[in-house]
Amino acid sequence: MRKSTKIQLVLLDNLVWVLLAVFFVLNVLFTPAFFSTRNMMNILYQSAVVGLMVLGQGIVMMVGELDLSMEAILAFAPGATILLSQKYGLGPIVCIALTLIIGLALGWFNGMCVAKLRANSFLMTMSSQIFLRGIVLFLVPFSLANLDPVYSFLGKARIGGLQIAIIVFLLIYVIFELLSRKTVYGRRFLLTGGNRRAAFISGINTDRIMIGAFMLAGVLSALAGIITAGRQNAVSNSMGEGLVMMAFAGAILGGCSFNGGKGKPIGMLGGTLLLGMIDNALNLNSIDVNLVSATKGGLIFLTILLDQLRIRRTANIMHKENMRKLDESTQENKEES
Amino acid sequence: MTMKNEAMLELRHITKLYTGTVALRDVSFTVRKGEVHGLIGKNGAGKSTLVGVISGLVEPSSGEILVDGKNYNSLSPILAKKHRIAIITQEPQVVEECSVAENLFMPNYLEGRKMISWKTLNEKAQKILKEAGFDKDASMKMRDLSISERQLLLVIKACYAEDADIVIMDEVSASLSQKDCAILYRIIDDLIAKHKTVLFISHHTEELLNVCDLVTVIRDGQNVGTIQKKDLDKKRLAALIVGNEHYKEQEEEDHSDQVEEEILFHLEDFTSYGKFHNISLSLRKGEIVGLAGLRGSGRTEIMKSIVGIDPHDKGKIYIKNNEKSYAAPAQAIADGVVYIPEEREAEGLIATASIDKNLTVSILPKVSNFGLIKNTEEGSLAERLIKLLDVKAFSKKQEISQLSGGNKQKVLIGKALAATPTVCLLDEPTRGVDIEAKDSILHTINAQMRKDSCVLLSSPGVEDLIKICDRIIVLYKGQILDEFKKNEFSEQDIYRSMQGERIHLEGVPK
Repeated sequence: MRKSTKIQLVLLDNLVWVLLAVFFVLNVLFTPAFFSTRNMMNILYQSAVVGLMVLGQGIVMMVGELDLSMEAILAFAPGATILLSQKYGLGPIVCIALTLIIGLALGWFNGMCVAKLRANSFLMTMSSQIFLRGIVLFLVPFSLANLDPVYSFLGKARIGGLQIAIIVFLLIYVIFELLSRKTVYGRRFLLTGGNRRAAFISGINTDRIMIGAFMLAGVLSALAGIITAGRQNAVSNSMGEGLVMMAFAGAILGGCSFNGGKGKPIGMLGGTLLLGMIDNALNLNSIDVNLVSATKGGLIFLTILLDQLRIRRTANIMHKENMRKLDESTQENKEES
Repeated sequence: MTMKNEAMLELRHITKLYTGTVALRDVSFTVRKGEVHGLIGKNGAGKSTLVGVISGLVEPSSGEILVDGKNYNSLSPILAKKHRIAIITQEPQVVEECSVAENLFMPNYLEGRKMISWKTLNEKAQKILKEAGFDKDASMKMRDLSISERQLLLVIKACYAEDADIVIMDEVSASLSQKDCAILYRIIDDLIAKHKTVLFISHHTEELLNVCDLVTVIRDGQNVGTIQKKDLDKKRLAALIVGNEHYKEQEEEDHSDQVEEEILFHLEDFTSYGKFHNISLSLRKGEIVGLAGLRGSGRTEIMKSIVGIDPHDKGKIYIKNNEKSYAAPAQAIADGVVYIPEEREAEGLIATASIDKNLTVSILPKVSNFGLIKNTEEGSLAERLIKLLDVKAFSKKQEISQLSGGNKQKVLIGKALAATPTVCLLDEPTRGVDIEAKDSILHTINAQMRKDSCVLLSSPGVEDLIKICDRIIVLYKGQILDEFKKNEFSEQDIYRSMQGERIHLEGVPK
């Protein structure tokens, strides 16, 4: 294959990073106060929670399902933990562990129902979402303030001016990128999502993979919950509302598909940062908040169009490459004879 | 001129080219009014393309079609409908949630009315069902009917509700129960009495000889003869279908000397009620055993039950003399039992993943260390297999969805090779691929796959099995009917055996 064709294919494969780069340059040139260390840190900090949600949703989408309950788990896991801690006086480390375990358990429940009972994941997680949010609204008052500093460490603390949340969020992306690239376990997610029946017949325990995906989504939501709570130093009962749609947006921007079998964490990171950067840039240009939201909607629509374009363009390149190869071989034959 | 000799449908010099293959080559034949015209041929002979041309779903590359004296280059479903040509396919398509009466009159319901009168509709439907001798209530929901009854209902719809002049029945009897088959034959008699025309396609020679007035045989995309029933018997028909002389193909080397004494795989009394019964067979090391049988004879079902995709009711599986039972393919693969499914797209390959990832799906633990994939090892394995199988691709990273059918099938075979199995179950590995790919796949199975393992191979065509198998077991209605040793291979005999005729009278295990 020619070098230029290869580069084209790589760029098309990582379209979200190309978009991100273009958008970044535009903002550096035209948006006042955009290009400063402070603002860059701000974008990253604001992206931490969304980023974890995007990653969780992306993993579930990789196996060909979806999880609407993530945003409710984000509020429920820390909410339940803090209530229990107030009642039984649990230590902060126990609380962090408990929050993550609740996230895992809720994900496990979703996954079991989808994998073993063959429940439709949309309906299944919608029921979890409504149920959990209802419980949170019932149990947790408007907000539970004054968290233990250890519990709010992840959301609030800094090391030399750099928020811990940024480090945690980027580190998790690095880990998941490595997991999906290098490990057998990670590989199985995409294979299961690409064709569940074929993966099963090829010897993959597809039920276990599906349950694993939902558990990862659950634990990442719980972690996002800890960071959200730490940031505002309180657990409120409306935490995470509307975030699940942003999670879909980021995952789709990052190359995931509702059909499954597609997506990689590095792309999802690009999707997250693009969403965060748009938010930030529009704010700096003092655009109305509601218009910012509308813009994100438009952006998702644009991605859908771009994705179709990308598929066509890739097929086109492949076709041309085929023709070129055919020409070469016929010419060789001529020369031989 | 009597009514009977009038040509209803005439094909003249029809040729159909697909990229790389010729599906139909200069086919001509005439179907006359008031006759039941049989059509038979092996899988891949071009029957379905021919049916497609007549029903207007396939556009011929050249030639002309005469319907009712009118001349066309190609038909369309609308034209076919205008000339009252109705086609009933192998797999009944019905709307399950609607009533029998509704399905019967879909999509036009009762013409000339804006509102549907359910009462009239049901009454009319009931009358038709009675006329056809089909004892069911017209207000029943379609989903409460068996597959056989649904198929029969579609026949009734074409013959009575739509009142077609030419009815094409494409392997309709394959999914009919014995009782429903009797109704079908009666309906055909009824049609002929009304001077209608039937084109009857079937794989069963006996049925064809009972039902049809004359039979056209298609072989390798050509019409090899249209013959009156009185001049035919089963043996002659089989000879025509199979052909006496073969076109010169690449000869396969005889590797039967590699067969050793050791039995690697043994099935005993293997049964899944309603699918297959009392299957006992043994495979030796280095042996390739063919599994021949018509569609529905239980080939696929047996293989799927062995590896645990479907359950079985009774019987034992032995791998190297150890009794095993598998609840999921993962367990079978761990024991070196690999199944390659016939449904390449739906069950075999993962279209969104690359070639190398597909090749190693089943053997990820083998190309990894503590859960970490050894990329260089995986890469070199993939490259070796791509070269060995001659998969045409730019690189091992190319997505499966971008490959042609034959190359996809090669990757699927590569998956089995990569696993270096003890027992290899190949379900129709040569289905739907061009001749070149077919030869290459058969060669790989013969030369590579039998090494240190044993292969159970099923194929839609007997000729593929004859080429590379050491033994051929014939299945008929879920049971082993006969077995052929290498020196007894005869395409005609095996073909007849697949129809339920016993060639060997003694010495066949029950």
